[in-house]
Amino acid sequence: MSSIIQCRGVEKIYRQGDVEVPALRGIDLDIQAGDFATLSGPSGSGKTTLLSLIGGLDRPTGGEISIDGEPISGMPKARLADLRLHKIGFVFQTYSLIPVLSALENVEFILRLLKVPPAERGPRAREVLRQVGLEGLEDRRPSRLSGGQQQRVAVARALASRPAIVLADEPTANLDSQNAEELIALMAELNATSGITFLIATHDSRVIAHTRRHIEMTDGRITADERRGADIAA
Amino acid sequence: MTGMFASIAWRNLWRNPRRTLITLVVVAVGVWSILTFDVMLKAFGTSSRETSLRLLTGEAQIHAPGYLEDPSVARRMPTPGGSLLGALDSPLVDAWAPRVRVPAIVQSEYRTRSITLLGVSPARERTVSDMPAQVVAGRYLSSDTDPGIVIGQHLAEKLKTRIGKRLIILVQSSDGRLAETSFTIVGLFGGTQGAQDEYAFTSLRAAQGILGVGNDVSEISLFGADDANLDGVVSALKSAAPALDIQPWTTLSPMAYTIETFSQTYVGIWLMIMFVLMAIGIVNTQLMAVFERTREFGLLQALGMRPGLIVLQVTLESAMLIGIGILVGIVLMLLTVVPLLGGLDTGFLAQGMELIGMGQILYPRIDPAAAAGSCLVVWVLGIGAALWPARAAANVDPVVAMAEL
Ligand SMILES: Nc1ncnc2c1ncn2[C@@H]1O[C@H](COP(=O)(O)OP(=O)(O)OP(=O)(O)O)[C@@H](O)[C@H]1O
Ligand SMILES: [Mg+2]
Repeated sequence: MSSIIQCRGVEKIYRQGDVEVPALRGIDLDIQAGDFATLSGPSGSGKTTLLSLIGGLDRPTGGEISIDGEPISGMPKARLADLRLHKIGFVFQTYSLIPVLSALENVEFILRLLKVPPAERGPRAREVLRQVGLEGLEDRRPSRLSGGQQQRVAVARALASRPAIVLADEPTANLDSQNAEELIALMAELNATSGITFLIATHDSRVIAHTRRHIEMTDGRITADERRGADIAA
Repeated sequence: MTGMFASIAWRNLWRNPRRTLITLVVVAVGVWSILTFDVMLKAFGTSSRETSLRLLTGEAQIHAPGYLEDPSVARRMPTPGGSLLGALDSPLVDAWAPRVRVPAIVQSEYRTRSITLLGVSPARERTVSDMPAQVVAGRYLSSDTDPGIVIGQHLAEKLKTRIGKRLIILVQSSDGRLAETSFTIVGLFGGTQGAQDEYAFTSLRAAQGILGVGNDVSEISLFGADDANLDGVVSALKSAAPALDIQPWTTLSPMAYTIETFSQTYVGIWLMIMFVLMAIGIVNTQLMAVFERTREFGLLQALGMRPGLIVLQVTLESAMLIGIGILVGIVLMLLTVVPLLGGLDTGFLAQGMELIGMGQILYPRIDPAAAAGSCLVVWVLGIGAALWPARAAANVDPVVAMAEL
């Protein structure tokens, strides 16, 4: 399997006035296409920082990141935006959706950005919402959806754009255990059926239990990288 | 094509209705004031022009060369005939009137004053001037041979004379002698004090008689046809009478022309002032809106929306906001101006305004092209100002989407 995500010596130092806060201190990481990996570690260990660098939302202060073989550190903003649009889906802890758009429109929005013809957008958006179990809730705005339902819309949106990678930062942190279980099961299923690579930052042991690969971070370094032969969700 | 972006823009506008309404009010009031100011100033300009032109000037005048510099009896021309008469009687000209017009001295038993004596043809005079209609006591001249004289009421007071009394008129006749003739006052006219003190009217024949000029005249005042371009009328007359001096009102009555030109400048200045105020309002509220939605702009970028498209999205929002404001402003202007289309009586201001030649009643006219032009300027410049908050939105660091709340 080829590396869809490749990090070489990635460093990130935040500067707050005169104080330098090293958040990542040299990360070497390869994630294979189709992987289902979790990233955990104590608060402040650099999980969010690493995801934002991989997603091209921020730039490393050292090292290089390649997505699908393409180095991204020197890319201009607009090209990074295109890269995210075509290759990366995000699920955040909260606020992953555009508040003025309904569930259906949130999914259609990404298709609009992808320039999918208008006639195709509706049916495709309905289909992915059905796949994530949101049939009947298509016309609700995020404010009228539960936290779990909102995260499902975010997953549906990622699914609709058929990205290579979904980056999720603590997607279950605000969910009760049943909703958390269902969301993980959904992501694992999508990973299995559509081959989308998932990289999920989480403290949640239920999530970790589903993964094929588990990465531990401490203080800006990878301290453990555990691969499991069998996909437990399967 | 932009259906989805437009509906996002529209919904975003109503997320903070109070703020949106404030901006709408600012734009609407600004546009209302610009449009209304424009209409009223134009009405004022037209009214002052009309008043001034309907006094004696007309839209154009014909004289012998040199008359305008030295309005003496020597600078005279024959009564129109031939090709000039043909041009004056053509459909290009609405109305015209011949006059003898010379400086003169008027004497009563008590006082002497210098005036301008006008010998007029009353029937024609009524078609080019409102002065015959301004007679407030007695009557106007009745025919080309009427032996009476009509003077201003105020002049009569100064001369301590009245209707029925006689006045002496002294003029330099065509042979250079001082000619003296007496007339009976048959009427007094009102109107502006300047005109009352300046003019005295006799019949055309009587004036020609005392000056000894036969059928010659000093001046022809005329109005072009309503639909004719004045420059075209003037040049047609010039080719009919190449030896004569033919001038449009813009050179004859520079004051009226200046007022009309100034009104354009004032509207321009007002537009700039209002626009600056509107721009401050728009930029402020839209910047606030952008700051409140920082995380959302981070999200949009995280989703892969290009910065340029975000600028477009936010600008679309401002364009809608300003556009609605402009529409409301137009409605407010119509509500203000339409009831005045029948005429706005400015009698309460007339004392002061007469000085600069404003009539008593203004007739506002809406010029759709000018109004559309002003609205377009406001819209385009407003969108230009809104590019600032739009850029701010596009410059939001996408990493804020990841930030924990
Ligand atoms: N914008 C920033 N400016 C300064 N320091 C920052 C910034 N973002 C993160 N940090 C610091 O970088 C380090 C790593 O932070 P990061 O958010 O990546 O940790 P995390 O593993 O996601 O933690 P958590 O489990 O609490 O989400 C921390 O010390 C944090 O204080
Ligand atoms: Mg984090």
